[in-house]
Amino acid sequence: MTIALSCQGLARSFGGVQAVKGVSLSLPAGQVTALVGPNGAGKTTVFNLITGNLRADEGSATLHGKPIMGLKPWQVARAGVARSFQDLRLFQHMSVRDNVLAATEPAGWFWQPGGASARREREAKADAAIQAAGLSAVADARAVDLAYAERKFLSMARILAAEANVWLLDEPASGLDLSSRERFQGLLHHARAQGVAICLIEHNLDVVMALADRIAFLDRGQVLAEGEPQAIMRDPKLAAIYFGDRQ
Amino acid sequence: MIAYLSNLATLAAIFGLLAATLNFMVGQAGIFSVAHAVFMGLGAYAGAQVALLVVPNPLLACLAAAVVAGGLSLCLALPALRVRGEYFVAASLGLQMMAVTLFTEAKPLTGGMGGLVGIPRPSLFGVVIPVLPMALIALVLFLVLMSAMQRGSFGRTLGAIRDAESAAEALGKNVAVAKALAVAFSAAGAGVAGALFALHLSFVNVESFTLEQSVLVMAMLIVGGTGTLLGPLLGAVLLLSLPAALSFLPFIPPTEIGSVQQIIYGGAMALLMIFRPAGLLGDQKRGRSEA
Amino acid sequence: MLELQLLLGGLQNGALYALTAAGFALIFGATKVFHVAHGATFTLAGYVFIGAWNAGWHPVLGVLAAMAAAVAFGIAMERFVYRPIGRHEGGFFTVFVAAFGVSIVVQNLIAMVAGRGFANVDSPLSMASEVLPELFLAPVFWISIVAAVAMFLALTLFLSRHPAGVALRALAQNADLLRAYGLSSSKLSILAFALGSVLAAPAAILTAMTSGINEAVGNHVMLISMAATIVGGVGSLRGAALAGLLLGVAEAVVLTVLDTQWAEGASFMVLFAFILFRPSGMFGAAVAR
Ligand SMILES: Nc1ncnc2c1ncn2[C@@H]1O[C@H](COP(=O)(O)OP(=O)(O)OP(=O)(O)O)[C@@H](O)[C@H]1O
Ligand SMILES: [Mg+2]
Repeated sequence: MTIALSCQGLARSFGGVQAVKGVSLSLPAGQVTALVGPNGAGKTTVFNLITGNLRADEGSATLHGKPIMGLKPWQVARAGVARSFQDLRLFQHMSVRDNVLAATEPAGWFWQPGGASARREREAKADAAIQAAGLSAVADARAVDLAYAERKFLSMARILAAEANVWLLDEPASGLDLSSRERFQGLLHHARAQGVAICLIEHNLDVVMALADRIAFLDRGQVLAEGEPQAIMRDPKLAAIYFGDRQ
Repeated sequence: MIAYLSNLATLAAIFGLLAATLNFMVGQAGIFSVAHAVFMGLGAYAGAQVALLVVPNPLLACLAAAVVAGGLSLCLALPALRVRGEYFVAASLGLQMMAVTLFTEAKPLTGGMGGLVGIPRPSLFGVVIPVLPMALIALVLFLVLMSAMQRGSFGRTLGAIRDAESAAEALGKNVAVAKALAVAFSAAGAGVAGALFALHLSFVNVESFTLEQSVLVMAMLIVGGTGTLLGPLLGAVLLLSLPAALSFLPFIPPTEIGSVQQIIYGGAMALLMIFRPAGLLGDQKRGRSEA
Repeated sequence: MLELQLLLGGLQNGALYALTAAGFALIFGATKVFHVAHGATFTLAGYVFIGAWNAGWHPVLGVLAAMAAAVAFGIAMERFVYRPIGRHEGGFFTVFVAAFGVSIVVQNLIAMVAGRGFANVDSPLSMASEVLPELFLAPVFWISIVAAVAMFLALTLFLSRHPAGVALRALAQNADLLRAYGLSSSKLSILAFALGSVLAAPAAILTAMTSGINEAVGNHVMLISMAATIVGGVGSLRGAALAGLLLGVAEAVVLTVLDTQWAEGASFMVLFAFILFRPSGMFGAAVAR
């Protein structure tokens, strides 16, 4: 089992609030690691620290053994880490196809390297991602005009097209109905089989149980427990925290 | 009459180019500048000096103008674009106000208040050519380039940055470089417009590169509509014909035409933003960046 | 002594810049509106005072009229420009263009009504007398300093003691929270515009009494306000005021070496230096994205 991405002792505070204190995580290739925990636990902040959207007060992170702390978000992305956002951040006024094509064109200045054949390759890649996400019917619609579930899948399609080997997904399945959720799970199963290391923030425990190989339980900025889904879910202490009747 | 019309057409092409390149920066890249006249000025002085000192070759003049204006714009863009959008606006306003002083004081390069006079007629291989066809060619060339970029990957990158900067970064886009390129390209276009302007009038001085001029170009863009290809041209034609149209109105004293004109387009800018934010030709459903 | 003379002049300008910039920063902090028409508020207030003076009104009436004009203009901008734009979710760009357009209209209307070029008021208060050998100060100098300090203290007291002031500060921190407590953010933003605008009036009047103002002075004021807000650190009133002072002094320092026309350049230089080396400003938190 190779570790694709790992971080040690991440810490970050906002003003007086310690949002993340000493979080260590390892994401093995070909596995889904679910990051669960109550609202405000610091899950999104952990992602932001890894991707360089926020500067960590302490801690380090490595991608395939190479340090990535201190890199800019675009550098982390080009190194092979794709992420989604809790609030999606689609390119609202661009078509679905352009949203996904943009994900296949990280580099380049005024134009992309590689000429026409490379362009056709990118277009094929984008179309495959659109197809896989089930958006072929709306490929020419603008992101802003999509329905809720379609937006969520567009956010996934961008990640599919980016061809990264680490995925950081921030609540990608929230609010999906049962059939959409199954389609979503299919996407992740497929990526996992390809050896992608996936970290999934998710509140719905059905989704977590269906997908996760491992669970890390985060509360108040700390990893309280990490391990097999069954073991974590059976722990009454964690359940009490998660379902809100602590104290 | 012919001379009047051809003069108007030349100016329309030059200002169309200015408005269209500003549109690239504002409408495509979502970068807001009130210093477009500065880049026009840099190009005008560079082009005029080439014509005065080297050869009156219009291609060379335009090339020098594009390089000088585009290159110097990077000095502003690279630092100021690292931070929030408001910073760039503030910095560009500061630059615009200081540049007028710079242009006035750098007498060896700009001729100061008196300006550069007696710029020779542009000629290619010994044949004198009028500016109108060159301005039209430059305009078409830039429009074609811009629409190609808009449909290509660079346009996607800029659109992505405008709609959701952090998501664009998460896809590996180097946001700072992309924005700087957009500014440099746009400034280079303004520089070319400036050089053509200098060749057309065979005289330039600082009066053409003031804040009022920047505002005029911005108004052309706003009236026509940002983000469209032809909107800025429509805006340029409309606002350039405004002084002539106003002079037909008997109740406006000639000395006040300048003010009335500015009131009209200032008012148009405000009213359009309140009631029709995408301009006359713009797609009204398309809002502004929310990233 | 010339240096000291210039420096004190810079201090006076700086104090007035500080007032104006604090008004801009207050509005920006509380409402998140980049109120570039603040320069127009300044111009308007200055010309109302000059008009009242020339019409022979009592100066106190003139001051009140100028303040009323500033407040009315600020509130009108909020009600008729920013709020409609906010309703259709216009972004920074839309707000900027609209406010800039209004500024252009104001500038040219003033030029048509009051004429172009510098206008000022000649009062005994602007007569300089020699306080030290070769050092001339007019009473306006002291009035400017005292007015700036007094208004800033009053503002600070209001923001920290008065419930509405506290609510304004809360609005700057977290608008959603405030709404959750049922406080009307629309009334508060009117209050922010009224307060922010009124701060520009004394600055305009005192500038009119010292160096005079012209119809285009609003552009300079706009630049100073934006630059001070950024240099001071976005969101910090104290920072904006201090930065305003700094910009005034920087202009004076530039004048000791170069000619008057470079004064504009000083504020750009200071702004640019901060953008290069300390983009978060003097008191700002790190710029988060
Ligand atoms: N940029 C920021 N500035 C200030 N505080 C922040 C910032 N980002 C996060 N926080 C704070 O850090 C804490 C953790 O936030 P975070 O968004 O990481 O939680 P989360 O686990 O993702 O919660 P949720 O399940 O609601 O998404 C919260 O108290 C939040 O208010
Ligand atoms: Mg979260």
